Amino acid sequence: MTRWVLLAYRLPREPSTPRITLWRQLRRLGVAQVADGVAALPLDARTREQLEWLAEEVVEHGGEATIWLAEPGAVAQERALARAMAGSAARDYQRVIDEAAAAGSSQSARRTLSRLRRELRRISSRDFFPSAIGDRARSAVESLSERVEAAS
Amino acid sequence: MRWATRRGCHVDRAACAWLIRRFIDPAAAFLFVDDPDEVPPDATAFDMRGAELSHHAGDCSFETFLRHYGLRDPALAEIGRVVHEADLADERYDAPEAAGLDVLVRGLSMTLDDDHVLEISRPLFDGLYAFKQRAQMLGREPA
Repeated sequence: MTRWVLLAYRLPREPSTPRITLWRQLRRLGVAQVADGVAALPLDARTREQLEWLAEEVVEHGGEATIWLAEPGAVAQERALARAMAGSAARDYQRVIDEAAAAGSSQSARRTLSRLRRELRRISSRDFFPSAIGDRARSAVESLSERVEAAS
Repeated sequence: MRWATRRGCHVDRAACAWLIRRFIDPAAAFLFVDDPDEVPPDATAFDMRGAELSHHAGDCSFETFLRHYGLRDPALAEIGRVVHEADLADERYDAPEAAGLDVLVRGLSMTLDDDHVLEISRPLFDGLYAFKQRAQMLGREPA
């Protein structure tokens, strides 16, 4: 089983801005929301540090936050977490695939290409359980790149 | 002066160490700990939970150093944006150098111990600083 790093946090209800910022940051990191106020990532030096900084921010905004290293009590539990995280990455990859296919090879396709490349980087940085759809998204963007090059 | 930070230095801590040596304390000695509780009383902690010279209000530690020591050099501010994106990648700034710098320093930290990461990355930041200064002067990227 994977080891996980957990952020347990509680932020005051008001003001709402820090709550929204935290929610965005957690989303960007690709956490699994284990429960209300408990976010999890597979443990490595980087993910641990990322959650530690968020914990600091929560405390700076008058909340409470602690960092825990944990193992799920059952394999099925871990599988469910991994499935939820992979599912969310898969939806993002699918959007990239659709947009790459719709982009054609016109002049505006070049702009779409650089946007989709950035988007791919963003998604893969929070994709902890790589699957085939990630590869499909990368080849979709690659073939868009070839179409754009051929048209120029 | 002694400066303490966490073991396993990546881009933000390497950049802070460079900044300390070059602009704050040329005789700085660095030590590395696993836990904030291990910081000796005579050492200044940085880039660690609970330290003043650390991440604050969405800034990375390097940016906190610039603010704390009143370093208003625009070339340093530029490096601050690069380090911010290399460390946090939250797209607050547009810093295309960030991804490359992050990979370079992370690669160093895979092959070297922390003392050597700081030593080898120092000329890297010297170069980045020279480049950013020159760019400021010219108003464009140096050739």
